[in-house]
Amino acid sequence: MILANYLASAALFCIGLYAVLARRNMIKMVMGLSLMEGSTYLFMISLSYRAGSTAPVLLNPPPGQSTRTLAHGNVADPVLQNFCLTAVVIGVAVTAVFLSVVVRIAQHYRTLDSDRVREMRG
Amino acid sequence: MTPADGGARPEAAEREPLHRPRLGAAIVIGMAVAMTVAVAGIPREHSPLPAVARYALAIALPNWRLTEPVNEIVYGTRGFDTFGETFLLLAAVVSVIVITRSREPRRGYFGEETAAGRERSESDPAGPGDATEDAARRAERREQGDRPAVDQVAPRDRDQAALGAPAPETADAMTVVVRTAIRVVLPILAVAGLYLVAWGYAPGGGFPGGAVIMGVVLLVYAGFGRRRIGRAVRPALLEGIETAGAAAIIATGLLGLLLRGSFSANWLPLAAPQTILSGGIVQLFSASELAEVGTGLTIAVFALLAMRHDWTPDEPGGRAGHASGPAGQPSGPADEPGGHADERAGPAGDPRDAAGSARPGRPADRSRP
Repeated sequence: MILANYLASAALFCIGLYAVLARRNMIKMVMGLSLMEGSTYLFMISLSYRAGSTAPVLLNPPPGQSTRTLAHGNVADPVLQNFCLTAVVIGVAVTAVFLSVVVRIAQHYRTLDSDRVREMRG
Repeated sequence: MTPADGGARPEAAEREPLHRPRLGAAIVIGMAVAMTVAVAGIPREHSPLPAVARYALAIALPNWRLTEPVNEIVYGTRGFDTFGETFLLLAAVVSVIVITRSREPRRGYFGEETAAGRERSESDPAGPGDATEDAARRAERREQGDRPAVDQVAPRDRDQAALGAPAPETADAMTVVVRTAIRVVLPILAVAGLYLVAWGYAPGGGFPGGAVIMGVVLLVYAGFGRRRIGRAVRPALLEGIETAGAAAIIATGLLGLLLRGSFSANWLPLAAPQTILSGGIVQLFSASELAEVGTGLTIAVFALLAMRHDWTPDEPGGRAGHASGPAGQPSGPADEPGGHADERAGPAGDPRDAAGSARPGRPADRSRP
């Protein structure tokens, strides 16, 4: 029942969103953003699942199937795997950007509390 | 890092305003409802593959001689998408480098006070700070006075150094067991990362390969410390490799446009399936992506690790300096973790200040420019 995976990824996304909206500590906000990223990976991989299918590799097909039948379906969706593959790497780099901004803010304002960063207000 | 709401500070006892959790909960509940409704209507495990996936699976073997459709999609069918992702990664790495680099020494007259002094005084008016700020500052100074940090007091001679002060050699944080294990596993992991890229007809490709290479570098860093890895992880070298990878990706795409009439079309001869060269430009693209991703992630992580404690020093009057102080003062290393700038601003300075700047053994991982 793949719907459970979808709902789990939606729940993860909402937890991450709540962390971004309700936390004041900026490290926790970045953690929330990473959680939202992770929920999209789970979602895309779940979306690519097909019942009774095999991996999208046209090599040594499982017994009872030929390369030709594999190519015509009955494998996991390779396009979504592609999205996930690139998104993981981009996610690491973007998290590095967030964290370096947080470190600079902490050094400048000497706080990690976003409520105390007064010049961002208004 | 100063914890914003650490333990016994008086601010921590303040009642937390409730508007954030309330507003956050309202938005999140709305989002949850919307996502549940949306998720109920999307394709499940029994629906047929979308047309783009079936197209990619159908042309992988005949058109690209590749037995691995995911690689074929990443670098072939959806090559333009990957092209964009590559430069998104490059942009992220450039932003990390720009944000994390330390301040340059002042080389000339900029006139920032003349140009922006009025705006600055409006956003941060001079004068006595408010009561809470003064209290916080007093507490910070008292804390520093109470317990001088171990590594900030220079001993009269090295044999009298306090326990806990930095030792003459950099810490080998890991035991010999871990270091030996890393030595054994390192070549295997490095070869595995390159294997993922070289055998393009099996699952793998430049993105996972680059991530494995970054893992190798991080393992060396964790096991042997910054000084050992510093010889290989030089920004100039890594940035050169990364730019070369990006340039190779652009060249691969443009040659397709010139020779075959469409961007990122295959212009290399296709070898037989299940050989290293099967796939034409897919392999070239993938290898360039390995250079780009492996060095890019390494640069980003090491830039973050090497960030200096670039605190804005306090103004002489005790107010937190936002813009006026930092570069104007001839204070030497601006990498003190705060609190001392008050004393340092005065020309006389107290002995602790002098000790601070003439301190002998800085940990190696902070002093990298």
